[in-house]
Amino acid sequence: MSGTKAGGGILDRSVGILFLTPSVGLLVVLLLGPFVYMVVISFTDLNFALPGHDGNFVGFDNYRHLMRDDPVFWSSFRTTLAFVFGVVSIEFLLGFALALLLFHHIRRRRVVLTLLLIPMMLAPVAVGLMWKLMLQGEFGMLTHYLRAIGLMGPQTALLGDYRLVLATVMAIDVWEWTPFVTLVVLAGLLALPREPFEAAIMDGAGPWRVFRDITVPLLRPIIALVLLLRGIDAFKEFDKVFILTGGGPGTATELLSIYTWRVNFRQWDLGYGAVSAFMVYLVVLILCAVFYKAVYWTEGSQKS
Amino acid sequence: MTVAFRDVRKVFPDGTVALDGFNLTFESGEFVVLLGPSGSGKTTACRILAGLEQASNGTVEVDGRDVTDLPPRARGMSMVFQNYALYAHKSVYDNIAYPLRVRGWARGEIDGRVRAVARLVQIETLLGRRPRQLSGGEAQRVAVARALVWEPSICLMDEPLSNLDAILRLQTRTQLKRLHTELGTTFVFVTHDQEEAMTLGTRIAVLKDGRLVQFDTPRTIYHRPATRFVAEFIGRPAMNTIDGTIANGRFEAGDFTLPAPGRADGPVTLGIRPEHIGLRRAAAPETISFRLDVIEVVEPDMLLFVERGDVHLVVRTEAAPEGLGHDTEVHLAFPEDRLHLFATRDGARLAQGVPPAP
Amino acid sequence: MSRPWRMVALAVLIMVLVVALTPYLWLIMTSLKTRLDALADNPVWLFTPTFEHYPKIFIDKGYLPLVMNSLVVATASTAISLAVGVPAAYVFARHDFPGKEDLFFFFLTTRMAPPISVVVPMFLMFTYVGLIDTRLSVILAHSTFNLSLVVWMMRGFFADIPREIDEAAQMDGHTRAGMFLCVLLPLAAPGMAATAVLCFILSWNEFLYAFILVAFEGRTLTVGIPGLVTPHGTLWGQVAAVAVVATLPIIVFTFLVQRHLVRGLTFGAVKG
Repeated sequence: MSGTKAGGGILDRSVGILFLTPSVGLLVVLLLGPFVYMVVISFTDLNFALPGHDGNFVGFDNYRHLMRDDPVFWSSFRTTLAFVFGVVSIEFLLGFALALLLFHHIRRRRVVLTLLLIPMMLAPVAVGLMWKLMLQGEFGMLTHYLRAIGLMGPQTALLGDYRLVLATVMAIDVWEWTPFVTLVVLAGLLALPREPFEAAIMDGAGPWRVFRDITVPLLRPIIALVLLLRGIDAFKEFDKVFILTGGGPGTATELLSIYTWRVNFRQWDLGYGAVSAFMVYLVVLILCAVFYKAVYWTEGSQKS
Repeated sequence: MTVAFRDVRKVFPDGTVALDGFNLTFESGEFVVLLGPSGSGKTTACRILAGLEQASNGTVEVDGRDVTDLPPRARGMSMVFQNYALYAHKSVYDNIAYPLRVRGWARGEIDGRVRAVARLVQIETLLGRRPRQLSGGEAQRVAVARALVWEPSICLMDEPLSNLDAILRLQTRTQLKRLHTELGTTFVFVTHDQEEAMTLGTRIAVLKDGRLVQFDTPRTIYHRPATRFVAEFIGRPAMNTIDGTIANGRFEAGDFTLPAPGRADGPVTLGIRPEHIGLRRAAAPETISFRLDVIEVVEPDMLLFVERGDVHLVVRTEAAPEGLGHDTEVHLAFPEDRLHLFATRDGARLAQGVPPAP
Repeated sequence: MSRPWRMVALAVLIMVLVVALTPYLWLIMTSLKTRLDALADNPVWLFTPTFEHYPKIFIDKGYLPLVMNSLVVATASTAISLAVGVPAAYVFARHDFPGKEDLFFFFLTTRMAPPISVVVPMFLMFTYVGLIDTRLSVILAHSTFNLSLVVWMMRGFFADIPREIDEAAQMDGHTRAGMFLCVLLPLAAPGMAATAVLCFILSWNEFLYAFILVAFEGRTLTVGIPGLVTPHGTLWGQVAAVAVVATLPIIVFTFLVQRHLVRGLTFGAVKG
């Protein structure tokens, strides 16, 4: 599907350039620029808290420090990985099941779906706030009921207990983003052609076989899409954890983004903080490339 | 084994009545064609037989057993879909093997059977391919193979040839006929193409507006159509129909008149097929002259479009005399044993005693 | 769809809806409760609502400008992203050139860029040019992800318009630019509307960029929330009121744009 080659080739090209330049230019300045700058800073000792540290070149010192001497970074990295794997797998399973439920058994899908989407449409900061409210140690609504049914002791507060807080934060993320999985999987289900299913029924397959042999394989591109999108977004998580726990207690919920924020904007150690920021960017870029291959796949198989 | 639709009625949620009082009975081994224009209910009838749709009223019986409420896999039928419905993510081999795997056959048995049926429809070389690598004709044959691999007693086909080009359609038609003869499976074939129906079917069920109009052998349908609709639907070009009246033993439509001995007076529709109108070199007592309007050459035949007053006819003839052109006068003969008479009001057949072709 | 399964499905659905919606309802209720009701030991479900918190936070404590800031920032970043992104999307949909898919991938990465990674150098850059603590800095920051959203979504919408329309317009005498402005844009208008709403939502909900790039003056509504949560004595009624105002308009917008949500959130990969 190439562009029309009909007359006015030069005109086409200049229109193309004219239309593309502003956007490319804007993004180069606003994203590529900062990216390059970030890499540059990572090789300096820039630090707003210490005098004399105004950006002198220090080579790979920051990187060496990160690799060898910073257990906090790596603990934060592990926490983030646990967070990402945990929430993505649970959101995927729950969201998929919910999509199947809506697809097979529910009539007025549109209305129901819009209601279900509310958790993910709320500003993440607000989500953090409302759960903080419900889990508040003394008067929190959930705290009260959890204690009432004996799941929590009178002294425990979910957000204050370093053993439970990460799981709690993950549960809140599941609440917030499962609708996203449902939305996308449902769209995928609705787009599936009807005939292979009827053929499978005529071939004698029962409901479980149809699901396993037809539904899942046909949904593979969508599944890949959802897993990667959620994975990338979960890796970047900041807003609600920030307001829920600020990374605490201690560093129990200090995700990479929060760690990076702390180093840069609390300790003002910007040179070192740039390394951490770069690491986050790198992981996301790699996931992005994987995602693009999967999307290309989807578009490719849709085209054919 | 007898298959029967008894008073089947199907109303869709939006109110359309797809089938109304549909009754049909046929025996095993037949090649039954459900023929009709779009909206006639033929596909609905097929899907109700398959179990993919539920009848609103009435029952479906197979061998005396009421299968109306049974799911498709309990009915012993297979289906070939119009769009083939192959499993895009499986190989051709796996597509064909699927019904056997679902039924828990052993791998060795599956292999033998898949290859046998692939040979039958001549796709042995394609077993390793994926559906998207197949041409339309190949995909269609895979669909047929999949439907026959487990030797169902009844094989349903919903317009399986519609998506093929003309040449392929003819080839596949022959293949299907051969399959039917070799396997002896009961085929139920849905189509809107009357030529397909006439060549393939042992018996044709003509549907219109959700009802069965006629169920007969192709020969009978051709020579003794039960209604004007069937008469006009079968045959290409369609049968000529002339609205007129019978008075005093003669059929009259304007100044076109033919003897009609022993007929009651009243409005009738006269029908005669283009291939049965005789073309004479010169005027004769039994001929009627028409003005030739257009000639279409369809080798080895010719189609002559003629008119006389308000009466327009199409004549199909093999040997046409020289010197025919626009506005030429032609002399046509109308053999009495080739005439059909239908009631003008409801199109029902009136003529008795029109013998089948020699 | 057998009867008993239908009942089970319905029951599950109702439970899910309750879980999904109760937290938000609780927030709204908290914003309408007196301090006594809100802080009661046993959760209060039936109460006499009061609107006292809203004027207290928005007028007395001066949080109304924050609403204004959110509005301005969201509208502006949407407008810029559309103005710049729609033409670019058109080029991707209709033209071919070497490196096209690579450039498209570049646009994707900009959407995915981790805000925490971008904001660090951006903070420094904006400080040097004196843009820090202004609304413009946030508008520009938001444009980074909104722009690629526009390009990705609109590419799909333009691709949906058959090429014959372009050709018919050219036969009618339009120039390339004229064809784009007078024929394609109107046809793509519904898609643009949906994209615009989605951009607005994303910008309105955004926190990190606004939090870092602005200290006081240009604060958006989302940034106003953490400041009200203190270790000693958070005024829950008031902060809940802020959160409600920060979220309620979005609910309305969601209903409007729900049909195109899937396309926007999956970068056009799924049409929904």
